[in-house]
Amino acid sequence: MKKQLLPAIIGIVVALLAGLIILWAQGYPPLQSYAALFSYSLFSRFAFFSTLDKATPLILTGLSAAVGFGSNCVNLGQPGQFLIGAMAVTAFGIAVDLPAAIMIPLSILVALAAGACWSGIAAGLRRRFNMDEFITTLMLNFIADYFTLYLISGPMLDTKMYSPLTPMTNSGAWLPIWNGFGSAFLVAVAAFAVVSVLWNRSKIGYEWRAMGQNPIFSRTGGCRNDAAYVWAMLLSGALAGLAGGLMIMGGMQHRFVKGIGANYAWDGVMIAIVANNNILATGLYALFFSVLQTGAMGMELETSVPSEFSLVLQAIVVLFVVASRESTRMLMNNIAAEMRMKRARGRDKGMGDGRRASNG
Amino acid sequence: MDSITKIYPPDTIALDDVDLVVEEGEIHSIIGENGAGKSTLMKVLYGMTPPSGGEISFRGRRTRFSTPREAVAAGIGMVHQEFMLIPSYTVYENVILGAESVGRFGTLRHDDAKPKVQELVDTYGLNIDIDSRISDLSVGAQQKVEILKLLYRDVDVLIMDEPTAALTPQEAGELFTRLKSLNEAGKTIIFISHKLDEVLELSDRITVMRKGRRVTTVDNRGLDKAELARAMVGRDVVFSIKKTPASPEEVVFEARSLGYIDANGATRLKDVSFDVRRGEIVGIAGVEGNGQYELVQLVTGLLPAQSGRVFIGGHDVTDEDVMQRRKLMCYVPQDRKVSGSAQSMSLVDNAIMTHHRLNPEIEDRWKALLSSGRCRAFASRLVEDFGVLAPQLDAPISSLSGGNQQKVVVGREFMLDTDFILLDQPTRGLDVGSIEYVQQEVVRRRDAGAGCLLISADLDELFSLSDRILVMARGRIVAELRPEATTREEIGEYMLGAKEAQKAWRAGKEVGR
Repeated sequence: MKKQLLPAIIGIVVALLAGLIILWAQGYPPLQSYAALFSYSLFSRFAFFSTLDKATPLILTGLSAAVGFGSNCVNLGQPGQFLIGAMAVTAFGIAVDLPAAIMIPLSILVALAAGACWSGIAAGLRRRFNMDEFITTLMLNFIADYFTLYLISGPMLDTKMYSPLTPMTNSGAWLPIWNGFGSAFLVAVAAFAVVSVLWNRSKIGYEWRAMGQNPIFSRTGGCRNDAAYVWAMLLSGALAGLAGGLMIMGGMQHRFVKGIGANYAWDGVMIAIVANNNILATGLYALFFSVLQTGAMGMELETSVPSEFSLVLQAIVVLFVVASRESTRMLMNNIAAEMRMKRARGRDKGMGDGRRASNG
Repeated sequence: MDSITKIYPPDTIALDDVDLVVEEGEIHSIIGENGAGKSTLMKVLYGMTPPSGGEISFRGRRTRFSTPREAVAAGIGMVHQEFMLIPSYTVYENVILGAESVGRFGTLRHDDAKPKVQELVDTYGLNIDIDSRISDLSVGAQQKVEILKLLYRDVDVLIMDEPTAALTPQEAGELFTRLKSLNEAGKTIIFISHKLDEVLELSDRITVMRKGRRVTTVDNRGLDKAELARAMVGRDVVFSIKKTPASPEEVVFEARSLGYIDANGATRLKDVSFDVRRGEIVGIAGVEGNGQYELVQLVTGLLPAQSGRVFIGGHDVTDEDVMQRRKLMCYVPQDRKVSGSAQSMSLVDNAIMTHHRLNPEIEDRWKALLSSGRCRAFASRLVEDFGVLAPQLDAPISSLSGGNQQKVVVGREFMLDTDFILLDQPTRGLDVGSIEYVQQEVVRRRDAGAGCLLISADLDELFSLSDRILVMARGRIVAELRPEATTREEIGEYMLGAKEAQKAWRAGKEVGR
């Protein structure tokens, strides 16, 4: 764990330093901008809560990608699964009116199921026709995109409004907000806990990891790779669907608006890649990226650095962390080897053997 | 080579202050167990990996090659364990690859070097057609191409890294003759091996390595095999596994008329029937690619059966999947890196494969979960019982030497504790010490009442372990022999199909699909 943490920290620090230089070169006050970035994301209650709000979908889409990639399923359908999850919850919330105690758990299930169905189509196509999920999940994104767009501008259009969006769901499906703290975050945390137990401790999780590292090994060992593949795809889709569902259930809007998916899904893919499909790291990077994204708005307000600067920072973090993962490890190993040489040489000197080579 | 040290980061000492002097014109063998540093030493010499310390001199001049290309230019060439040939190219094309004569505009002058290559083939009596495709050649012939590649580049020093590993006895014999004649023609040969007989037969001088250190270098005169083995392993070695005659009991495994036709329509297995009884080891000999692969896949359930049936412990398992069969059998696969392990996963994660579904011992109280504590305890028991040298249980298994990785695989499978054991090349690429260990373990299992099916390309192994030997050729079983009543040569003839014509061996009627 310590070995994994170091490249991450180095990557982040280097990225922040590089950002500093970019800000300075562009004529913005660098330190002041950073101060604003963090104070608007962490150092006040409201700021902190909005960071958690932002982190909620990122954690889930990140987990979705990590579970997929980590078990050798290239699920790139998070955007579609996200939208379908959101749409299913919206439709459910409009059609059904029950007390919150029933409505909230049911809506969560609906979101999970809807996302799983969407990725399940890709899994089914793979099993039946051997179609690569890499392509099918991407294509299904377009279908989901236009299908939901059709629904919100036609059958489900809120006629009282002048833009493509649905009516609000019944209030039973709304997740409570306590003093500015959106409880959707708790749902994400619960999902995180379940996934990390499944992934790291369960039998199927072991098979997913083994399949992700060497599918021939897991097959030879008797794992049912076909079944494990389908389950991993379903879980991956369900998580992305839940991310979409929580967008409707949490927050203040409670309706499906055009563009609701924003960039959450691709950010999740990016987070999983940076985290190297490690579940804990996925959670932490999701939090970190939401700090950047939330703080960037405050930074724009205070120092007029465009909030898009957070994209630059994210990109640098990705590059540095991914690049430094290997190079830091190699560097550390080389240092260890060097130390070993020195120790060996010291030992030889102690034995009075001066014949050794002098350079390492 | 003087005081060569190589440390693989972070702290694996592969070579510890090794000196090696090779005289011009000699055949110098380097022997040692796997992980002793033979290959690493050669890689350092050949410029494939930089040394952490020490000096190399070649013909009196200090040198250090930073790439194999430089080494080849200086006159040192290496034939690797795994061949580096392009299967779809012809022999000639492979030989000139990277050293093509090129016309203006970089166009290939295709046939320019043909006379030279042909001349080399004739001079050294290599006896291959330079226009045939690599994919059509046997392993032995491919090795000749590798040697030819180096001769074409005018090397004076040939490094052969475990060249006999994939050869039949006949091919190995041929290789030795060829190496000797190359040596007579003035080439210096460095021969890496862990097989004592080969080294004693071939070399002028022998360097023994152990655990990254050079133990000794001796002239090959009146050397005693046992002494050499002791130097290599660091203790006395049993050459022929002690084994009482088998006392076979009831049938534990039966293959009945197995057939297999592959996707290209080629018949890979035809009407294969045999059985294995408890308390005996049945060996399967044969040149690789004569149906052993398909047989193993059908027995383990990795391939669906097309015709015929498989019985384990009296149950018809033909329609059962791999995991269901694993309750009745354990399987040591032939390639530990491809199918026996996930190199990037930890030792623990590699040790619990298959057990994770079948062994309640490592389950958590909640049955769908594995207990990490118990998994670790299980892995450390494996490490202890099977003498695995492992620095940490959580380190990736790739940090272990090949022999120790194989011990993990063998240990994992034997801990399934089943009555039928399928071993597919269980000791390939292992050192003497590890081979001895694995073989003794197999005999121990047999004596405990397990039935073993051993597939091996190593005739020594088949002779020392098997109670019966079946020979496979072209997808059929062509002979059943008793090791005490046959010879290597006889088996070799059956393997090559020569004997088959004289003495047709038929088990039964042909069975269609």
